[in-house]
Amino acid sequence: MTELRVDTRPAQPPTAPPAAVRRRRRLTVHGAINIITVLVLVYLVIGPILMLLLSSFEDTRAGVRIRPPFPWSSANFTGVLGDSQTYRVLGTTVVFAAAGLLFAFTVSLVFAWLVERTDLPARGLVYVLLVAPTGMPGLISAIAWGLLLNPTNGYVNVALHNVFGLHGSGPLNAYSLPAMIFVQGLALVPLTFLLITASMRNMSVSLEDAARTSGAGPWTILRKVSLPLLRPVLIGAGIYQFVTVIEAVDVPLVLGLPGHVTVFSTQVYRVTHPAFGLPDYGASSTYGILLLTLAVAPLLIYNRTVRRAQDFATVTGKAFRPRRQRLGRWRWVAFGASMLYAAVSFVLPLLVLIYASLEPYIGSISVSSLQHMTLAGYRKTLSTDLFVSSLGHTLVVGLTASFAAMLLSVLLSWIIVRSKSRFAWMADVLAFIPHAIPGVVIGLAVLLIYLLLPVPLYGTVWIIVVAMATQYISLGTRLTTGGIAQIQQGLEEAAQASGARASQVWRHVLLPLLRPVLLNGFLLVFLATIKNLTLPLMLQSSDNVVLSTLIWDRWDYGDVTGAAVLSVILTAVTVTAALVLRRLSGNGEQI
Amino acid sequence: MSAIRIDQLCHTYATKNKTVTAVDQVSLDIGENEFFTLLGPSGCGKTTTLRCIAGLEQPTSGSIEMDGVVVVSDSVLVPTHRRDIGMVFQDYAVWPHMSVFDNVAFPLRIGRKLRRAEIASRVEQALDLVNMSQYIDRRATQLSGGQQQRLSLARALVRQPKVLLLDEPLSNLDAKLREQMRSELRLIQQRIGITTVFVTHDQVEALSLSTRIAVMSGGRVVQEGSPREIYLEPNSRFVADFVGATSFVAGRALRSSPDALVLETELGTFNCRPDPEILPGASALVALRPESLVVTDTPGERDNCFAGEVELSLFVGEGVDYRINVGGQSLRARGSARAQFDAGDRVYVNAAADDCVVLLADRADSADTLGAEVADAHH
Repeated sequence: MTELRVDTRPAQPPTAPPAAVRRRRRLTVHGAINIITVLVLVYLVIGPILMLLLSSFEDTRAGVRIRPPFPWSSANFTGVLGDSQTYRVLGTTVVFAAAGLLFAFTVSLVFAWLVERTDLPARGLVYVLLVAPTGMPGLISAIAWGLLLNPTNGYVNVALHNVFGLHGSGPLNAYSLPAMIFVQGLALVPLTFLLITASMRNMSVSLEDAARTSGAGPWTILRKVSLPLLRPVLIGAGIYQFVTVIEAVDVPLVLGLPGHVTVFSTQVYRVTHPAFGLPDYGASSTYGILLLTLAVAPLLIYNRTVRRAQDFATVTGKAFRPRRQRLGRWRWVAFGASMLYAAVSFVLPLLVLIYASLEPYIGSISVSSLQHMTLAGYRKTLSTDLFVSSLGHTLVVGLTASFAAMLLSVLLSWIIVRSKSRFAWMADVLAFIPHAIPGVVIGLAVLLIYLLLPVPLYGTVWIIVVAMATQYISLGTRLTTGGIAQIQQGLEEAAQASGARASQVWRHVLLPLLRPVLLNGFLLVFLATIKNLTLPLMLQSSDNVVLSTLIWDRWDYGDVTGAAVLSVILTAVTVTAALVLRRLSGNGEQI
Repeated sequence: MSAIRIDQLCHTYATKNKTVTAVDQVSLDIGENEFFTLLGPSGCGKTTTLRCIAGLEQPTSGSIEMDGVVVVSDSVLVPTHRRDIGMVFQDYAVWPHMSVFDNVAFPLRIGRKLRRAEIASRVEQALDLVNMSQYIDRRATQLSGGQQQRLSLARALVRQPKVLLLDEPLSNLDAKLREQMRSELRLIQQRIGITTVFVTHDQVEALSLSTRIAVMSGGRVVQEGSPREIYLEPNSRFVADFVGATSFVAGRALRSSPDALVLETELGTFNCRPDPEILPGASALVALRPESLVVTDTPGERDNCFAGEVELSLFVGEGVDYRINVGGQSLRARGSARAQFDAGDRVYVNAAADDCVVLLADRADSADTLGAEVADAHH
């Protein structure tokens, strides 16, 4: 038998120093990539914030200056803060966000408990139906509810008129703050529900059993054990969703503008893209700064919660399947309520869109109107050049922005998790900041940067790509940081000790092991980019129309059928993408 | 020529509040084909030292030579992948996305271009060596812990490196498997004759495998020697305590001559192993191994015999572990499994003078100063 013998190897030339001898702390290729990653991040993340600060503290009547002499001025702040409208907008924003969150969290907690902890029938179906609307962009559900609750000819209002013999407008009004809260609340439910069920599922039931054996009743257990254990996820999800609400323009634009209900995000949009006259970038930057402040305050708390979440590490313990609460005769009531909710939140808007896309005119649903159903709307809308180019733009933006975001994320995460660099904390902060910047503010800042910098991005799809990549770095790094942290460092070191260069370690060990995470993240970001209306709208020109801006354009123009056709198509794409994602990852909790 | 020469190695790192010195002025000289063990409690700097040899950590100062070539110093740094090493990790570090074959072939594929057949035959040889050839087509994730560790050893050896680095490779295995792997590791190392640096906190592994041991504490080497020297002639309270369970009795030297050393202790006079360094009047400690104490019910004929009372008696299968109160001091003793005394029994504790090692008290108390001394002496 042959043996492995060190001494049988051919005699090597007497010891010459290995070729790789070099001075300590000299820049390695890997080090250079790290530095470039951080610099790109600084440019993408810090650049917009500086831009915003600069233009808000300048006198911008003659345009924003990025070179000295700076026309410093506090006029923007005195103007904005002295305007009573600012406070009205602030009040509306806070009410809109708070009520939307309250609605979403109440619904999500109840359904999460029903699905995870009771003997509700068809729990799997209820779960899927509650999560399904993740695929529906906020813009589209807002349009659907606009069609349903339009005070003069909304389908629901028309139906109520017919049934109760009512006249005039109403009784329900889509273009009001309550309707906005309702629609936004519905839009928030899927992710909130996912986060809460995941946390409930991982909660060790022995913690509740311990309370039970200590003599606590169900109500006491809920108050003293279960809810406190859920607190980190409730606070974390709450603050995350708070930013989602205040940054989005879709629901406030579709449902708020007609009824003159203005929140901060639509205010920024309106001042940046006024119907008449020149945009006042100084004022919009100032609004942006205020919105940023509003978003950052709770995020600081969020950060502390996440750090403190380690105190609740027991929550992750694997344990027996929880005992399910018997609902008795309430079982079917709860099931009925679940189905009703699914019908109202997902099926009804979807059906309305399909119906509207087949109807040449908007009106009540009747036998005669059903006979008029036609595919003419599809033919007309899909044959336009604008549709074709917007579809192309959507794909280009989605693919490149997702690729760029994931590439930056994985490099950044490696620095955060693995590098022993003194600057690792900087990478951590850089990855976190975009999460705190509302999308509408990123859009504004990116717009200003490329208006001024001599880089020919303004008006192209690439400016949207840059903004999207910036926005979704936080989402990407959250996934990749988790992914890299799960790979034992020994696996990389074993490759090094086997003679692999840094690039070989990446190619043969890290990337193959990270593939599921990267694919998952890519799809997640892709889905988010094609649903996003805020950034393309803030950065729009005639040359970079994407599907979401096209839908808004058609709706704003009054082409209901066209908007519905496009909505149906986009929803089909996003729901499919969401399903693929769930199948691939087995869970959508990371969103 | 020594295979590895470590000179004045220091490794410090900064935490939030303070600077931690993980390795402090360590100097070692490891010979060709030696099985050299770094032994110590967690946090003593043994793993950091090993990782510095591998190049996975960069020392703050000091230098390391391998095979006569400086691999790290103030002006030179050879990265890990250019060092001629094989390494086995505590948690196996077997790549889960590769088959057994691919795992072992990795070091060959990554470096020089070898022919496919050459790679295959070398992988087979390496797997043969660790008795894993029948698993060659398995996925790495289908292996048990012991098999993963064998695989990881085959991967480390397949490049036929000059130096094999083992970072607590046995500590994740269960007790039976650990014992089996211990013997196999030694057999393989002897068979292929490879310089091996082994890190462990387990004294049995260290004593049974090594040709030489360096006991580390607080980042320093406290004692260096053959397993026999380390066990039988500990130079400090720390080493005596860490390597084997030891009871200490404080006292003062009465007489010291080349063939006799007598201490006055709280238990009475102790006849100890002669040590010319202990001068009369010096305060010192007597170190007593449990297995060198004989427990009897009648006074024995040994050099030292003290009456005591059994405090605790634990039957552990291969023997009985006692805690015996002698004059207010608790001594640990190991008795035969055949006759067991019970708690409360009046017994006699006997010890031969040669088994009673005396440590100077001032030396024994501060392993720190001692570590520096040893390092300097070595240098």
